[in-house]
Amino acid sequence: MRLPVLAAISLAVSFTLSEARAAQELNVYTHPSFAAEWGPGPAVKEAFEKQCDCTLNYTVLDSGGDILQRLRLEGSSSQADVVLGLDTGTMEMARQTGLLAPHSRKLDNLSLPVDWQDDIFVPYDWGYFAFVYDTEQLPNPPETLEALINAPDDLKIIIQDPRTSTPGLGLLLWMHAVYGDQAGAKWRQLSGKILTTTQSWSDGYFSLFMNGEAPMILSYSTSPAYHMAIDKTDRYQAALFEEGHYLQVEVAALVKSSEHQELAREFLDFMHTPAFQRHIPLKNVMYPAIDLGDELPQVFNRLIEPAQTFYIEPATVADQRRELVNEWLNALTR
Amino acid sequence: MPSPAEFAPLRAPLSHPGWQLWPGLLLAAAFVALAGLGLGSLLSAAEELNPSSVLGSRYLRGVVAFTLWQAGLSVLLSLALALAVARALARHPHFPGRTLLLRLMELSLVLPTIVAVSGIISVYGRQGWFTGLLEHVAPGHSWNLYGLNGIVLAHVFFNAPLAGRIMLQALESLPEPRLRMASQLGLRGWWLWRAVEWPALKPVLPGLSALVFTLCFTSFAIIMTLGGGPSSTTLEVAIYQALRFEFDFAQAALLAIIQLLICGSLWLVVFRSRLDSTLLPNRRFAFSAPLKTWPGLALANALLLGIFALFLLAPLAAIVVRGLPALWPVHGLPPVYQQLLPATGRSLLIALPAGAGAVILALLTLAASQKAQGPLTRTLPSVTGYLPLIVPPLVLGTGLFILLRPSLGNSAQGWVLVSVINGLMAVPFVLQVLRGPLNNQDKSTLQQADQLGILGWYRWRWLYWPRLRRPVALALAYGVALSLGDFGVIALFGSPGEPTLPMLLYQQLGSYQVANAAGTGLWLLLCLLAIFTTLTRVSRPAPRPRGQPRMLAGAEPDHA
Repeated sequence: MRLPVLAAISLAVSFTLSEARAAQELNVYTHPSFAAEWGPGPAVKEAFEKQCDCTLNYTVLDSGGDILQRLRLEGSSSQADVVLGLDTGTMEMARQTGLLAPHSRKLDNLSLPVDWQDDIFVPYDWGYFAFVYDTEQLPNPPETLEALINAPDDLKIIIQDPRTSTPGLGLLLWMHAVYGDQAGAKWRQLSGKILTTTQSWSDGYFSLFMNGEAPMILSYSTSPAYHMAIDKTDRYQAALFEEGHYLQVEVAALVKSSEHQELAREFLDFMHTPAFQRHIPLKNVMYPAIDLGDELPQVFNRLIEPAQTFYIEPATVADQRRELVNEWLNALTR
Repeated sequence: MPSPAEFAPLRAPLSHPGWQLWPGLLLAAAFVALAGLGLGSLLSAAEELNPSSVLGSRYLRGVVAFTLWQAGLSVLLSLALALAVARALARHPHFPGRTLLLRLMELSLVLPTIVAVSGIISVYGRQGWFTGLLEHVAPGHSWNLYGLNGIVLAHVFFNAPLAGRIMLQALESLPEPRLRMASQLGLRGWWLWRAVEWPALKPVLPGLSALVFTLCFTSFAIIMTLGGGPSSTTLEVAIYQALRFEFDFAQAALLAIIQLLICGSLWLVVFRSRLDSTLLPNRRFAFSAPLKTWPGLALANALLLGIFALFLLAPLAAIVVRGLPALWPVHGLPPVYQQLLPATGRSLLIALPAGAGAVILALLTLAASQKAQGPLTRTLPSVTGYLPLIVPPLVLGTGLFILLRPSLGNSAQGWVLVSVINGLMAVPFVLQVLRGPLNNQDKSTLQQADQLGILGWYRWRWLYWPRLRRPVALALAYGVALSLGDFGVIALFGSPGEPTLPMLLYQQLGSYQVANAAGTGLWLLLCLLAIFTTLTRVSRPAPRPRGQPRMLAGAEPDHA
């Protein structure tokens, strides 16, 4: 009689213990396109939970800027263990909060167009900004940024506002990287071709570009991959500019106040395994941060490959952002 | 059913005068505190305040000037169109399709911006239907949607229908004796306007203009998408930029204060002028007075209403055309429903309480502003009616977040919070719908009720409810629909993975799912339509109970 009771008790105890261990939770702040049902989020959660014996929770905030804003407001009492979805534009602000902890990883298996040395931010994907065009409306797109700027004004493009959108800021930095002090004058030259400047990438892509309002839109060099692989159409392609293209890198980081530092670091390591990265190309529509080898979808071999990569250090971007935005404003509101 | 008089000797529930005053006052005070907290927290986080940095900037002065200019223009055109439409609709209370037109007028305001804008572009854009037609009729035309054209067009699309709906409500609550008199005297044209219509519209006009002005003043995504470039920028954009990208709290707070000052002083003027306007008595008998019209006027009205219907319908038709392929069951139900249906459920879970809350809040606010005596207590309740519009959501959200952070635990609380804020944000619209009918309560009926001791709950049940059930249903529909289409608040607070309908839409947009996003847009449109239809149908008057005073039940304006 007594033995089964003991067994039952010990079973119950061991059950509660394993419950307690499984109850360890990792909270990740991220943005909607990562956490969406068809984004990488759900598959990543499943794969990580299989190996970590924990629960992975997402808190979905509107954008990278909002993740950072939330972190600042919460300060050291933040519930976040990891923030995922910042980029080269918001990185420096995030660093300056002092709320993030060094990752202390080696980061030696990265496959990025630039040499990544950062003790806080861990890249998980990247891509180039590019103008995507509709081949049916525009069979022969400009082959250089200069040609676009000098094109007749009946070639219409849609761009995003650098004050509210990541690609918008990307174009601002791209122009600055190519033209330096001349950028303001070049913006004025370009202005006749700008049909409109939208608040966000989605406003422009969905409402305007996909409605056929303009043959070209500022987007990512990886956008055609989605259209080719999922929509099964070659109609939308990215224009390769000879001068080169500006790079965007999306990063994650560890929150200093996290009580699950070890688990959070485990997640950062997991980020650089194929189990995580294989969901990036078609679900986040960006390049994976590691070499996926054969697992990289075929369509990615058909994307443009810029000869030159422009990349301005986040610290410099943070210093110059306001000045550049003002230069842009002055050029376009004159 | 017992007659109201039987209740008189008892002390009616909620009949203490304080019940009309304090809840509304407290809510208003809480709201002011919240907005103050949001601004205060920004100011305290700011390192140094330098007003000259804002006032001295050529660009920011330009922003303020442009914001004022486009808002003023949008108000003028919206109200002019609304006035013509409301008069035409009031003249012709029965014609086929009238109910449908009214439903359309309710829809446009609550459509999520991105859905409506995509519809507008499909019609008026470079590849749009309208532009194509124009090309045939007038080749070489210089129509261009992008710029002030597009901004004003979109603002009129969003606001004229709401304004028209409220004006119609005012015209329809005209006292019947006055109409009969006008009919007997054969008043028409200018005289009819001067003697009958203007006095009916005068009380609602200031508030309505201020509402539309504020909406256009703080408009953001429409202006950026259709405005063409940074020369079309509103203050709201500058605030957003300062908060979200620069983390320049000082600048954000300063800009928010400028916005508060401009819109706040406008509302103050409105509020003062509204105090002077006399409230119309409203007693209606079962009598329908045929008003004389000019011979050609009926035709002109028909033409006007036809064009207006087309103006509202065309963008919606474009949304249908674009969205249908994703929703249409070709081989069984498309998989997109697996996301749509749960998202709809979650959205309703947030929107229904939010809508109900907004209606209750608005009623309490109106009661308090009627009851209040002192200058401060009179002003305070009306604050709930406009503060949600002029305090930038980001500022309000920041304030709320700081206030509630220690207790923001699980996601259920988060959803309650989203529902509460959505309700608050809907109050200004709900208030506009309810103000006229509530204030138009017949003075002599009220005096009679006082003498009979019909107070508190009974007063509401027997005096107000019969007259208000339709306006309340419409107000509820606005409240629910506005919350259903809202994305801003939920995005501000963050949410676990399960999306609501607008979140689903934005997720799809953010991941190239253009066809599915168009489907979700259409689905949202259908949901909003269903809400309005259901609520206005439910609120149709029940067969009149025997023994109820005819005057009270008959006092209900007909405008469903």
